[in-house]
Amino acid sequence: MKKFDFIKNRKIYFAISGCIILIGILASFVLGVELDIQFKGGSIVTYSYVGDVDLEKVESVVEDAIGATVTVNNSEDLSSDAKYLMVTLASDTGLSADQQEAMTNAVTEAFPDNAIDVYSSQSVNPTMGSEFFVKSIIAVALAAVLIIIYVALRFKRIGGWSAGVMGIVALFHDVFVVYTVFVLFRMPLDANFIAVVLTILGFSINDTIVIYDRIRENKKLFGNKMDVAQLTNLSINQSMTRSVNTSLNTLFTMIIVCIIALIGNLDSIMSFSLPMVFGLISGVYSTICIAGPLWVTWQEHKLKKKAA
Amino acid sequence: MKKKSKSVFFIVTFLILALTYTTFFGISTTYGDIKKTYVKSAADIRWGIDIRGGVDVTFTPPEGTDATDTQMDAAQSVIETRLVGQNITDYEIYTDYKNDRIVVRFPWKEDETDFNPEEAIKELGATALLTFREGYNVDSSGKPTGVTAENVILEGSDVKSASVGVDNDNEIVVLLDLESSGKEKFSEATGRLKGQIISIWMDDTCISYPKVSNQITDGSASISGGFTADEAKSLANQINSGALPFKLETQNYSSINPKLGTDAKDAMVLAGLLGYIAVAIFMVLYYRVPGFVAAIGLMGQATASVAAVSGYFPFVPSFTLTLPGIAGIILSIGFGVDANVITSERIKEELKTGKTLDGSISAGYERGFSAIFDGNVTSIIIALILMGAYGAPDSFMAKALTPFFFMFGPTTAGAIYSFGYTLLIGVICNFIFGVTASRLMLKSISKFSFLRKPWLYGGAK
Repeated sequence: MKKFDFIKNRKIYFAISGCIILIGILASFVLGVELDIQFKGGSIVTYSYVGDVDLEKVESVVEDAIGATVTVNNSEDLSSDAKYLMVTLASDTGLSADQQEAMTNAVTEAFPDNAIDVYSSQSVNPTMGSEFFVKSIIAVALAAVLIIIYVALRFKRIGGWSAGVMGIVALFHDVFVVYTVFVLFRMPLDANFIAVVLTILGFSINDTIVIYDRIRENKKLFGNKMDVAQLTNLSINQSMTRSVNTSLNTLFTMIIVCIIALIGNLDSIMSFSLPMVFGLISGVYSTICIAGPLWVTWQEHKLKKKAA
Repeated sequence: MKKKSKSVFFIVTFLILALTYTTFFGISTTYGDIKKTYVKSAADIRWGIDIRGGVDVTFTPPEGTDATDTQMDAAQSVIETRLVGQNITDYEIYTDYKNDRIVVRFPWKEDETDFNPEEAIKELGATALLTFREGYNVDSSGKPTGVTAENVILEGSDVKSASVGVDNDNEIVVLLDLESSGKEKFSEATGRLKGQIISIWMDDTCISYPKVSNQITDGSASISGGFTADEAKSLANQINSGALPFKLETQNYSSINPKLGTDAKDAMVLAGLLGYIAVAIFMVLYYRVPGFVAAIGLMGQATASVAAVSGYFPFVPSFTLTLPGIAGIILSIGFGVDANVITSERIKEELKTGKTLDGSISAGYERGFSAIFDGNVTSIIIALILMGAYGAPDSFMAKALTPFFFMFGPTTAGAIYSFGYTLLIGVICNFIFGVTASRLMLKSISKFSFLRKPWLYGGAK
């Protein structure tokens, strides 16, 4: 089998990842980062309807009824003829049940022939939204810390802490890719974002562990006969088929979910599965091209320091 | 000896197939019209409100009100009484005393075509109308009529407080303490209605109808009726609601139409099925015999995950399955695939070093295990944190992680909890099926002479 030299090319990989991160940062400034109302508070009500509805008229009817500025969008289900109207409140405050009732009554009265019905509604108090957001961030951070500790303990033989920290660097890389997908596709950050991040966290660290596991084993086998770079390169090559095959399998499943979500117009599932697809790809890449080579760089740096 | 180990494959396969069949179809017998269920089937899965539709709402007192614990208990009992009054029994409710919040989740009523979530939320949060009425005359729908409808003795504002106590006979009673505005009225009524009934109502629901045994002149009465401590507490809370000085507000709620959720569920189930087929084909083509064994093992893993939420195992209580929960199952199948890929790759490698088939299989499972183990433990860490951060406040993990999340009240995003739960179950099932069961099967199936060519395991032809 052809062997790749991942360590020799590491500068190229670091550069590629640098570019991706730069794109993510630029995109967040240019396009802006949108928080879902789950996090920032606000209200969105979706109505199902039939026939045609003048969106501008809906907007003015709603604004008259509740005395607040709203934006109105519509969407259509590709698999059935169902159509949906989304009314979003411009401000971040929640809508009370009374207001929503007034709004629904106004819309149904203004369009009696369109069989308008509440499909889903969400109203979030801004305080509770930001609490939810902070809690989610803490959950992610806590998970990351516990994983570093676990990896450090299990991989003492190969310098546990550096392995743990490098694993986490690869993780942040993947999390950042997921984040960039949300920004580039203009999907607001919501609970799905947190779910994807945590899943990718699991997958990516799992990937990285498989390689560390191999390094640990090879170190036992070869001891000091190989230097760090050779050892790591061998281990990455040995476990590469596995990394690629596993990710391909999961990728199949997630792509199938994406297609079904697209056909059924299931936004909530789309915003889960699409970032997952990119996160999975990034997970394999970061494991092979970032976590291992970066760890080698650290170890070499340590050796140089010792020699000097 | 050899014969015995060959049969292991069939025994394990049969067990997995039997588990799969009974998990999806259950075990029940039908004698005439009576159906007796021994084992619950997939049809018994309790779906979360994001799938079958429903309402998720957080009630709070108006801003600036600092409600006491007793007031919050009273407010919760108002909501509970009204939910039951609306025939909604399958609800979840919990109160966060620190932040003065009451989180309620209830599903769309079955057979309800024109459900109005706004109306339901409004009704639940409205100020409770507590009344003490003369007699207990009700119409066919249980609403007060005649003298009971006409003669209201006391209203909520006449009640100072209600609490649980014990009377002279050591019987549990509800103690009633009236405001001065109620004393006179109650004294008059109890004097006039001695030996008759005074019924207590919340809105149009009768919560108690005690008989008057003595005239109460000092405004402190007791209601006895062979209560248990819980019943007495519940009645006291209900009566206290009448004295609540505030109305509950809602700024935080979501409602989902059942059609939206059902579509999403069907899509996820379809995706899971197609995903499994794609993975099975890939595994068989790429890894041949170990791949075939992996496909059977994965079926067992997926099935066991479903069984763990449907209440199939008597020791695992049934669990509300949400969309992220289904995602968790699909994802754990991904981890399951990984375990099999790692082992199959290892077997291939060992064969290449010139080991015998049996030696390679043993070494493959042995050497692959540490990576699978470490990977699974990190997944368990993530699953437990999700369960702690997003679980109901009385759940075990939520309590265990209180030091980290103490400043937050219960969130309404319970759906993510389900993701953590199915991920955890999936990883545990992975140890059982992806590692143990598949090793038993592979070791046994490799004893068949026509399946002993190394090529079938990824070795040279």
